[in-house]
Amino acid sequence: MANDREVLKEVWDGKIPTKFIVDSEDIEVEAYFLLLPRVSYLSLVIEKIRKHFQRYIEKEDEIWFSYNNSIPLKFHIPIGVLYDLTGSEHPLPWQINVHFNKFPEDCLFKFPNKDVIESFFMNCLKEADFLKHKGQIVSQMQKKEHKQLFLGLQNDKFDQFWAVNRRLMESIEQENCFKYIPLRCYTDDCYSYSQKLICPLSEKGQRKTLKDLLKELSTPTLEAIGAKTHGVEVPLDAELQWLSETLSYPDNFLHLCLIYK
Amino acid sequence: MTDESEATAGVEKLSLQPEKLNETVKIDILLNAAGNAPIMKQRKWTVDWMKDISWVSKFIHKYLKLDPEEKIFLYINQTFAPSPDQILKNLYECYGNQNKLSLHYSINQAWG
Repeated sequence: MANDREVLKEVWDGKIPTKFIVDSEDIEVEAYFLLLPRVSYLSLVIEKIRKHFQRYIEKEDEIWFSYNNSIPLKFHIPIGVLYDLTGSEHPLPWQINVHFNKFPEDCLFKFPNKDVIESFFMNCLKEADFLKHKGQIVSQMQKKEHKQLFLGLQNDKFDQFWAVNRRLMESIEQENCFKYIPLRCYTDDCYSYSQKLICPLSEKGQRKTLKDLLKELSTPTLEAIGAKTHGVEVPLDAELQWLSETLSYPDNFLHLCLIYK
Repeated sequence: MTDESEATAGVEKLSLQPEKLNETVKIDILLNAAGNAPIMKQRKWTVDWMKDISWVSKFIHKYLKLDPEEKIFLYINQTFAPSPDQILKNLYECYGNQNKLSLHYSINQAWG
């Protein structure tokens, strides 16, 4: 179990100052500023945004967001990952375009209500637990504990979330680590990520570091030399097991944006 | 989708040249009915591993000639439902077994 409570809290509290704007030739629309939690999802803040822009939209309009009017922002990728992938090279606030029509159905999936994002979130947790503990911990939990994880995230309640999540972060007893590390590695191509079976220990039983991971992920033509998550570059000697316990998003996955040579 | 004959070629390519991402790699997927979902006559299909889960559910939907309002849910290891934009390659690398990726489909939510 992760004892680095301060790190966990720091990760949880990460926020991105964001400016929501609407491009309109006909009317002037006032921008909307919001501090977005990195660990949350656009689906969970959409109501606030809808409320602000209410007077400009018809009832049946479906809101969606893009960065720079070009990259649609996915509703089910954590906000911090969206920012690290799109906006992190530009000065803050992060500027997001709000759209009320022409929903790009070919590249964005609709998350029409909180139930859908909740179900998606729970499936991420189940997948992560399957990788870490063969799914044994999630399946032993009660329904209300599942609910508590999602409500903790939705209502920004660190203690409520971690009271349950710490059980998902326990090591397998004899091994003192997870079976595999739930991990998504984003490449330079926006959104496409690769997921592989990564063991936290080397064949000799030593704890693997980020450096070992990057070596595993590199190919002769593409060499990964670093990784960023929660807006910081991760030290190369950080152990994968520790990273998984402390720097995973609430969905229990490590989301790493790879830096290539 | 093609029939089973292409299967072996796909797997060979996969182990020899994993770094060539742009090249079409094909893998075998096994589609198993769960709950009271109708059974597919052909279970094994050879598909491009860059296709995503939403593509697979559309394919099953079409194959089974379901009504537009009926929905397909897909599961891995009868445990979790992968995200609609998850590509088969990632699932194959993590949950593939004996050169196949096994998926369960249902018409109702089976393993919530």
